[in-house]
Amino acid sequence: MLKIDQLISGYGSVQILNGANMKVEKQSIVALLGGNGTGKSTILRAASGLIRSWKGTIEFNGEQIQNLPAHEIVERGLVQVTQGKDVFPAMSVTENLKLGGFILKSKQQLSDNLEKVYNYFPRLNERKDQLAATLSGGELQMLCIGRGLMSNPKMIMLDEPSAALAPQIVLDIFKNINRIRQDGLTVLVVEQNVRMALLLADYGYVIKDGVINVEGDSKKLMYDESVKESYLGGTKANV
Amino acid sequence: MFNKLRIGKKGENIIFGTFVLLYIGWCVNSPDMNIESLKSVLTIGLSVGIIYGLVALGISLIYTGLDVVNFSHGEFFMIGAFAGLTMFNLLGNQDWIFNIFPDAYGWIIYVVCLFTAFVSMGLFGVFIERVFLRPLTKKGGGYTVAGMGIIICGFGLSVVLINVAYLIWNPVAKPFPAELGLPMEIGGLFLPITYIWMIVVGLSVAAGLWFFLNKTKMGLGIRAVAYSKDVSNLVGINVPLYISIIFGIACAIAGIGGTLVGPTYQVVVFMGYIILMKAFAAAVVGGFGNLPGAIVGGFTVGIFETASSFYISGSHKDLYAFLLMIVVLMIKPTGFFGVQVKMKA
Repeated sequence: MLKIDQLISGYGSVQILNGANMKVEKQSIVALLGGNGTGKSTILRAASGLIRSWKGTIEFNGEQIQNLPAHEIVERGLVQVTQGKDVFPAMSVTENLKLGGFILKSKQQLSDNLEKVYNYFPRLNERKDQLAATLSGGELQMLCIGRGLMSNPKMIMLDEPSAALAPQIVLDIFKNINRIRQDGLTVLVVEQNVRMALLLADYGYVIKDGVINVEGDSKKLMYDESVKESYLGGTKANV
Repeated sequence: MFNKLRIGKKGENIIFGTFVLLYIGWCVNSPDMNIESLKSVLTIGLSVGIIYGLVALGISLIYTGLDVVNFSHGEFFMIGAFAGLTMFNLLGNQDWIFNIFPDAYGWIIYVVCLFTAFVSMGLFGVFIERVFLRPLTKKGGGYTVAGMGIIICGFGLSVVLINVAYLIWNPVAKPFPAELGLPMEIGGLFLPITYIWMIVVGLSVAAGLWFFLNKTKMGLGIRAVAYSKDVSNLVGINVPLYISIIFGIACAIAGIGGTLVGPTYQVVVFMGYIILMKAFAAAVVGGFGNLPGAIVGGFTVGIFETASSFYISGSHKDLYAFLLMIVVLMIKPTGFFGVQVKMKA
């Protein structure tokens, strides 16, 4: 579905990615792990067209997308879901969701998708007329995921869906991500919460200094000592 | 340290209210104060104020959408007035319009002029944004970062546009003799009908903009782009296109303002500069970047200016708008409706 090959990119003149390779199979959940400042979010931003790729290719559904403007990438069905704080606080929940379906042409489709999102997250239905600024952290994250689902994507990329949330809510959100996958979408999750992400995912990549350092089946990665020690912050004492 | 010196919202309002009461007291003490003069001060103030408000609306719109202050906005106002005047001169000696609408002749032509100014300034604004401002953002990585270059470019554009207008229309002030009918009597006061046009058309434009921003899909997109360009990109909004649209709308509104002012005063190449400065004061008074605030700020500046030149001293007319701006910045830095500056990542 998504294939990233020898990707080099960065901000301004600072190079962050030094030739990253990744592959996401259709209908799978893939986790992209790594510490702070290793280039996890940069891969997502390059894939969704927010920053240019300097070198290398990004292929989505067999089509090279690395030079397309961001809105055309959304039209092709690749949507990035930002962290919960990136909603429009002065708009109501429904308005935020409608904005997610901005590229949809027909009103019928918009209301169908709205139903679909409320079905995933009944909590949003209860709060639909509230301003987004009044939502709690978990609800904001649900809103962000829901907004990503509004445009009928083929694949969504989640940027740290568990950031700053209580474990119970994280579990709830991850269950929903699994449900989204079962409904036919492909999911790429960028996470710092390694255990949860590996429990959810089928396959994992660990990024360090802008290159993929370790990759493998998530069950295997979970017990990989070198992963634990080097990149995931865990020491032997607390694992 | 300055955090501790801040007086808080309530304190701000009390001090500002005291200033307002003092000012009203000063005006009431004036020998010219009577109900007749008060009526004309209010109507003239409102009609001048809506013009400041319209230009301030454009400045605020560009500020929220592009994160830059457009210092060439007064020139779009001036060129808009000339566009309306050119259309007026084209239509003015066409007999067939007069033959078809003998009664409504004057105002139909004027409406066409307003429409011409609106459309032509909208297109001209998009052209300026695409050709002169857009290239500056390429290296800086978007409008948010390249701010300073664009601000300087705005000053330069202002000088260039004035001189281009000078070449085309020469510096002589030109009359705009729109035939809108006889003065109207409202509450014992004979008002030139152009004042009524200013207030009615100005308020309709502001209401139309509100409707456009809040009730249409494109308006939803514009509000999204104004809040965050990254997130707008991620939901599939064509952000570069929307930035052009925002700039175009702001310039079109300024063009309407120019054509509204034309019949009351005159159309002259240098009319843009002082309007820009006063609209800037209006935007600050209302709360920079707040759209209803821009209109309210325009009315406030207009009434304050007219009342002061009536009751205090007429020879310093252009001073009062900036005096008000300074007082507002000192006591209530966010303006009437402003919020604390939002964080931009």
